[in-house]
Amino acid sequence: MLIKKILPKQLTFLIVLSVLLLMSNSSLLAQESLKIDIFGPGQDQINIFIAPALPLGHDVFQDNEHPERIRNLLRQNLRLLPFLRDTRDAEILGGPEVAGVRGADIDFRKFNLSRVDMLITIGVDQQAGLPGSVELRAFEVFGQRMVLGKAYTVHEPDQIHLMVRRFCAELMDYLTGHGGFFQAKIAFERKHDDIKEIWTVTPLGHDLRRITSLNAIALSPEWSPDSEKIAFTLLKDNRNSLGVWTRSTDEVSVYNLPGNTVISPAFAPDGRLSVSIDPMGRPDIYWLDRDFRMDKAIMEHWAIDVSPSFDRSGNKMAFASGRLGNPHIFVINLATNQVQRVTYDGRYNTNPTISPDGRYVAFTRQTPDGHRIFLTDLETGRERQLSFGPGNDEDPSFAPDGYFIAFSSNRDGRYRLYLTTRNGDSPIIIPTGDGHATAPAWGREPEF
Amino acid sequence: MNQKRYFILLALLAALVLSFGCGKQTVDTPRDPHAQLSEEERARLAEEQRRQEMERQALEERRLQEERLARERDRVSDEQLLEEVIDVILATRIHFAFDSYELNQEARSELQKIAENLKKFDTLRLVIEGHCDERGTAEYNLALGERRARAAYEFLILLGVPSQRLQIISYGEERPLDPRSNESAWAQNRRAEFKILQ
Repeated sequence: MLIKKILPKQLTFLIVLSVLLLMSNSSLLAQESLKIDIFGPGQDQINIFIAPALPLGHDVFQDNEHPERIRNLLRQNLRLLPFLRDTRDAEILGGPEVAGVRGADIDFRKFNLSRVDMLITIGVDQQAGLPGSVELRAFEVFGQRMVLGKAYTVHEPDQIHLMVRRFCAELMDYLTGHGGFFQAKIAFERKHDDIKEIWTVTPLGHDLRRITSLNAIALSPEWSPDSEKIAFTLLKDNRNSLGVWTRSTDEVSVYNLPGNTVISPAFAPDGRLSVSIDPMGRPDIYWLDRDFRMDKAIMEHWAIDVSPSFDRSGNKMAFASGRLGNPHIFVINLATNQVQRVTYDGRYNTNPTISPDGRYVAFTRQTPDGHRIFLTDLETGRERQLSFGPGNDEDPSFAPDGYFIAFSSNRDGRYRLYLTTRNGDSPIIIPTGDGHATAPAWGREPEF
Repeated sequence: MNQKRYFILLALLAALVLSFGCGKQTVDTPRDPHAQLSEEERARLAEEQRRQEMERQALEERRLQEERLARERDRVSDEQLLEEVIDVILATRIHFAFDSYELNQEARSELQKIAENLKKFDTLRLVIEGHCDERGTAEYNLALGERRARAAYEFLILLGVPSQRLQIISYGEERPLDPRSNESAWAQNRRAEFKILQ
């Protein structure tokens, strides 16, 4: 029981048995060709192929459903990475099968001829029951060597997607140095009739979960840096309040703040919460103290100031302000109080999100065709359009890796969540179930 | 002779004095007329008095009843008036231009009517709701909705409505009147409206 309390729930069921590091030192040096600089101006693409699962220990699977599911989930997960191209079975000369899951059993030449850069094999041992023990290996085809090997014991079918996400996190970390994407949990608003509640979901649409049942309008969710809390705006009983959901208790606390509004709560990296409130009769950005009471002002101005967003250092805060007559994006250096104007084009720029390294700001701009996501490089001032509709693309949110950007769009008639990257890769939909889904915010699963 | 005349005069004077005394006595005699009334007459008089008293009471009753009815009529008409005023307030909508919280002339005259009604019924308290159209983004629209509600709030205060009787809430773009995406729907949705605070 003690272990259950200390260890995350999933870990009591899913145990990583061993790490199969079969790489030699010399091969490590030769791996550089497969590393990807996802932050580079023009990223490369790696052709990846996931071989059909093979049984370990027995000649045939007792049940082929789970091995198939593992392969499909691997494909779905890795398709989310724009720098990987999924190679179809038909593209493999001589057929997609491999003789075994180990390097010695693989005919790398056919994959090399089929222009596959990385091969993943799946071995499943079902002797211990279903779904069984699973070994996942990633090979660099040209060098004919394994770059990543993991073994898992999966007791419940529900644990398969978690296992796949863990493997993908390792693989992405190997390729890019940033694996946090697969650890992510996205909080968002989901609308039913006049009600909006806060939900969470993984980028692949797993673990969809409603975390508030307030029968009210809950808006603008934002994770605390430790992912222990989600703060949000609550519209209920003729007032704006601050709602705070706590993971450990799974409960929501409601805080009333001075003034009439509670808009766009955002946590700073040190765990302090900022929020736009109007104690002086205009929406300004304030710090709250640890008990979620009003503290000192960050940004006071006669105009509207909303939507704070902090970089990883906590020194820079992007925000939207109507001080120039129309909403524009600004960044304040909190150490020097110097305010930098970010947007010069358009008449309606809102919803800024600053990259964790503090270099880029993505935001929503109203164009004649609808809202679109744009990105500005704060160092060069250069701007580029990341999304192209149709409909409205809104609410951009930088992932902690600084690479992915989630946003909401009604391009197919209903607001849904999409993933793109700061390079403007083709948006991928995040499944969120019924109702309009808006305002994505990144957090992570601590027990991952 | 003189003495005789003196006596005669004295006698006349005495007779005059005596005659005054006798006159007074005859006036005093009918001081208690009942004493001389018959039993039957007394009963008739008492009956008469009782009847008069009952009539007086009935009149008083009628007067009180009429007053009560008048008060009731006033109360009912006050309630009706209050209901009418509430209906008017609930139906009042103030409209704004895109990304604006400026009160136009029409909005000001609507607010003037609301202020007059609030002065007539000093128990009325209002929530002023600020709303936006779907264009623009949710967080900025929440701030813009606050500005719209506040513009109406401040104008009502200028017109003499005590601030304790008013409350503000912004719904941003969350409660559109018309869910469609066209100019006429947007114009309907950019509004401040009023709810009665219980």
